[in-house]
Amino acid sequence: MRDCAAARSEPGEYWFTASGSEEAVQQYFSRKPEPDVTLESNIPEKDFNSAGKGSAEVKNLLKRLGVNSEILRRVAVAAYEAEINVAAHSLGGIMISHIHEHMIHVLFKDLGPGIADIEQAMVPGFSTADDLVREFGFGAGLGLPNIQKNSDALHIVSAEGCPTLLEFIIFFG
Amino acid sequence: METKDRKYFHAIQILEDNCTGCTACVKVCPTEAIRVRDRKAQIDQNRCIDCGDCVAACEFHAIVPRSDPLELLNQFKHRVAIISSSYFGQFTEDIPYGVAKQALYELGFDEVAEEAMVTEFMISMIRDYIRANRNKRPILSSNCPAVVRLIQVKYPALLPNLYHQEAPMSILTRSLRERIRQEKGLAENEIGIFLIVPCVAHVTAVHQPEGAYKHLQDGAFSIGMVYGKVREHIKNLQNQPVEIETYPKGLTWALSGVQAELVDCEDIRALSVNGISNVMEILSRVEDHYLDQYDYIVLRSCTNGCVGGCFNVENPFVAMSRIKKMIKEGREHDIDVTELNKLYQEGEFDVAPLAPRPIMELDSDIKAAIRKMKQINEFLTLLPGLNCSACGSPTCYALAEDIVQGKATIDDCVVLLKRHSKEED
Repeated sequence: MRDCAAARSEPGEYWFTASGSEEAVQQYFSRKPEPDVTLESNIPEKDFNSAGKGSAEVKNLLKRLGVNSEILRRVAVAAYEAEINVAAHSLGGIMISHIHEHMIHVLFKDLGPGIADIEQAMVPGFSTADDLVREFGFGAGLGLPNIQKNSDALHIVSAEGCPTLLEFIIFFG
Repeated sequence: METKDRKYFHAIQILEDNCTGCTACVKVCPTEAIRVRDRKAQIDQNRCIDCGDCVAACEFHAIVPRSDPLELLNQFKHRVAIISSSYFGQFTEDIPYGVAKQALYELGFDEVAEEAMVTEFMISMIRDYIRANRNKRPILSSNCPAVVRLIQVKYPALLPNLYHQEAPMSILTRSLRERIRQEKGLAENEIGIFLIVPCVAHVTAVHQPEGAYKHLQDGAFSIGMVYGKVREHIKNLQNQPVEIETYPKGLTWALSGVQAELVDCEDIRALSVNGISNVMEILSRVEDHYLDQYDYIVLRSCTNGCVGGCFNVENPFVAMSRIKKMIKEGREHDIDVTELNKLYQEGEFDVAPLAPRPIMELDSDIKAAIRKMKQINEFLTLLPGLNCSACGSPTCYALAEDIVQGKATIDDCVVLLKRHSKEED
């Protein structure tokens, strides 16, 4: 992550944990276990033709592991929405998926320009998408709320002028 | 045709003597069911969905679609043909619809029925089903047997979304058998009902129907074979045409796009998709609930729908254009649906819940699956990534998986072998 000293606002942090998952989430982040399988993919800026490839790859891999279809759908939706977010709003970034036996942890790191007000961005319908993005049929302001709805934990670190880190966790069982 | 002594009946057959091991079929198979081993193609029976793409890809006549021989008719007292609508798109425009139909009697059928007869009834049944199942969206069409089997193997989570009612040719079979039994006083096994089908998946569906509660058809003849046999008769019949009932407005069933337009109405939004790679892309999006805004999706494995099936002799676009012309120029035809409605109300067209045939899982145990996935990734880093299929597996990934599953070795990679031999020089 780039240094945030030049930020015009204080770095913001957003945490969401689904009720009942608090302990498991905390345990995961404190222990940081080695993932069994890792996938990485690039998300180029405003490239809507290839945005979605990373989430498709993850979905395919989880299918091969025999992960239950409802979980599969939640991972696919959360990952796809986050991927589109990076393509639509940032200068590009990467998606890293850590697959464990009981869960998946997906990270999105972009090159900025950051989210000025994360709480506001979490409100369904709020969007800063420009015309190009809307032309592609995105930018309805449902991306982040949709990610949260499908995740067991969501963590966002960002500030205006800074890169954004978004990560979510979904448990398999 | 022998259907009992096999695990899963498939109407696609490999003629080993003709197979050169070229891997053209391996590359086109949508479920990666084909491998070339010892220079011969082999089909994994559990993965095959009978789409027929390999039949079209083979240049050596080594993959042939099977269908029943016409001699089968001799085993029955009363013989009925049910023709797929795409049949009528096969003939040049100087041959009238009626003559093409009349010629079928010359092959030994006592009765000739058309899939097109029940199209309108089918549309109302589909709408009825869509409205009665509001909790499931979208409803997926189940008429294409290859699509049904694709969903069973690759998208089992979508099985509940399939339209769980029999297809038009099976509906006709049920009602015709019932009527003939009563009218002629014949026993069930004296009546032979046969489909004249556009593709190999329909042959498979006749011999191994999915979800059928009752005895349906007694055999399936290929449109191509029938086409070859009726041509002589057509020449003779053209000089002495007779009045024969036809159902031009119902021919829409052969065209996926037109079928979707018919189902589409004020409260039902329909989408039409054809061609197996398009179908797979759409199914993946349906899985993620990105297409919930549609009430009904018509899915057909072949280009333009059944007119694209591998048994047809005419190009799917030309056949489509001819059928559209017949629909446009044809007259409305009132069909009495009282009997069909009665059977429908009695649940006679119900289909049993379809069972998954999953092929995607590396192992039933997630721990073992992860272990295998790690091994696959290790082999992948060694392989060249050219996806050349020269090893006999469709991609480098598939070879890595085959190695881990014990079905191949790293020495099968021709490119690595060449690199190693150079290093040794």
